[in-house]
Amino acid sequence: MKNRQQIKNMQRRTALKATAAAAGALAFPSLLRANDKPKELIVRAWGGAWGEALKAGVADPFTAATGIKVRLDFTEDNEIKPKIWSAVDQGRIPPIHVNWDTSTNATISALRGVTVDLSDLSNLEGLLPLAKPAGLEGYPLVNTYAYVYVCAYRAEAFPDGPPTSWKTLLDPKYKGRIALYDDGIGFNPIAVIAGGGTFEDIPDNMEPGYEFYRQLKANEPLLGEDSDFTTWFQNGEIDMACTISVNARAARQNGIDVQWTVPEEGCKVDTDGLWIPKGLPENEEYWAKEFVNFALSREAQEKWCSLLGLPPVFPGIAPPEDLIGDPSYPTEAEDFARLVSVPSPVLVENQPKWFAKFNEIFQG
Amino acid sequence: MPKRTLDRLPLRWTLLDKLEAIARFLWPARLRGATGWLFITPALLLVGVLLIGLGYMIEYSLHELDLSTYRLKDAYTLDNYVFLVEQPVYLRVLLRTLLAATLVTAMTLFLAFPYAYLMVRTPSSALRKFLLVSLFLPFFIGQVVRAYGWLIILGKEGIINTVLLKMGLPALDLIYNYGAVVFGLVQYMLPFAVLLIVPAITAIGEDIELAAESLGANWLRAFWHVVLPMARPGLVGAGVVVFTLSMTDFAMPEILGGGTTDFIASAIYDSFFQLSNSGLGAALSIVLVTLGSILVAIVFRLTGAGTLSIRQ
Repeated sequence: MKNRQQIKNMQRRTALKATAAAAGALAFPSLLRANDKPKELIVRAWGGAWGEALKAGVADPFTAATGIKVRLDFTEDNEIKPKIWSAVDQGRIPPIHVNWDTSTNATISALRGVTVDLSDLSNLEGLLPLAKPAGLEGYPLVNTYAYVYVCAYRAEAFPDGPPTSWKTLLDPKYKGRIALYDDGIGFNPIAVIAGGGTFEDIPDNMEPGYEFYRQLKANEPLLGEDSDFTTWFQNGEIDMACTISVNARAARQNGIDVQWTVPEEGCKVDTDGLWIPKGLPENEEYWAKEFVNFALSREAQEKWCSLLGLPPVFPGIAPPEDLIGDPSYPTEAEDFARLVSVPSPVLVENQPKWFAKFNEIFQG
Repeated sequence: MPKRTLDRLPLRWTLLDKLEAIARFLWPARLRGATGWLFITPALLLVGVLLIGLGYMIEYSLHELDLSTYRLKDAYTLDNYVFLVEQPVYLRVLLRTLLAATLVTAMTLFLAFPYAYLMVRTPSSALRKFLLVSLFLPFFIGQVVRAYGWLIILGKEGIINTVLLKMGLPALDLIYNYGAVVFGLVQYMLPFAVLLIVPAITAIGEDIELAAESLGANWLRAFWHVVLPMARPGLVGAGVVVFTLSMTDFAMPEILGGGTTDFIASAIYDSFFQLSNSGLGAALSIVLVTLGSILVAIVFRLTGAGTLSIRQ
């Protein structure tokens, strides 16, 4: 009789526990999602120094904290974009969980309506205003740091000191030994200023920039991507290039004779960000958000951005020692004043036109 | 014949009988006339899928991009084609591509024919093996790897320029120009051309050449009037393959061109991926497919489809 009573009590306790758990789960669906951890998160990234910094600064610490593996997918940023778009449009699960993207590309995806709103991330509070995407409601993406398209040069080719003006690119002495990005990215606004225009000319009057490009074409620049610049500098094939400071710094850290400067016309400053595609299973979206949230924490921002050598959106983080006072590492308002910043919505609207003209000049 | 043998046929025979019975059940005798169609069904399905894709491309090409949503507008328009015509850069890139494809085809055939001839006619098996290995070794290495190999050899601080500088001569600009792209493509296309020409030369009996020579023609005349015309199927086939592959190539211009000698495939890539304008990319693709088809049709019209041993 006693045993039967014990069993009855146990069953009642079990039933009560189960009911309480079910009620808790219904009341807090995030608890369910949090417990249902995916085996891995796939994060699209750039390779080389970029991917290594993300791995060491964000992915590995995130795995240590949550037990979720993070796989970096090095698909080209422009190539992953249509894959995500078609997956979202067709109701398929997107190929990645988090996209590390340029803010311009991310804005395009946000305009297309394929990004998850990140407004509820707890670590957004207290970030620098730079973190907020320009011209968009809420946080369809979050900017994570700023970067500068510097004037990188081979010190050996400039024995009298660094080039002081972008017009040095036109010097016949450097014919065939200069390089730009193959879509003009990072240089279009600078070309306008170097070509005699002003910042106010952008985007309505780009003609000074196009004229600068026409003159530049005669000096036979090489056009390429991040990895090309490193190869070209390494092989001694170029003396001067417009490239992101991260590439120049990585090349220098690998023993390549590369320095950089911000010429008198300034350099273009831009931002990269993180976003999550729509259409992920609920638990995977939850953990993808947790990843982005972690990337915005002080710990992650400090390590990630120090490795990249870029100013983070988390305030109060000191620059790496080798970049203290470096003009490519803007932290104060006056630092940014020396640089040229074009808002992402303006870039989104005008970049296709600029690219078409850039192509017309250099492919002619 | 002993009875035992009739009762107990070998297992293989029994199996074959059963398989034949199954085949008769699945494909009755009355359908035998359609057996040929059955065999080409997979190929037809494949072509069908490609045609469906082409249909989608034509559809996309008739919609303009809406920059406020980065989606194609619903309205049908020819604006993408008008844009291609109005932008002289696309015509220049197209002409550059066609010129390169023509040059690559001519040079490749010029180099491939003697190579294939020697490989077929040489009495030395060692030389034949050497030529085969030399042909296949680079064939197994991907196009991108080969292009990077040329960067090492032809680069401004590459092997050739290093030697030139050591000899006191000025360094040469051997890469990142049009010539480098054409050179890289010729090297890439050579094995394709040789492999297509070899069967044509093999089909020409050596005795025919001997007969021509016994009638008084020297080797050159026999080659010109007998071998070359008889090898026409191989030459035309190789020419069409090399031309179309060169015209649609992407990697060589990207790697060896230095960014300023794009081919039409690069422009298509840029439209789809850099500009996110699938309408414009589709329009460019349709132009390329149409142009390629017209050129191949002209070749067949001039040389006759019979050159590929197709019954007319």
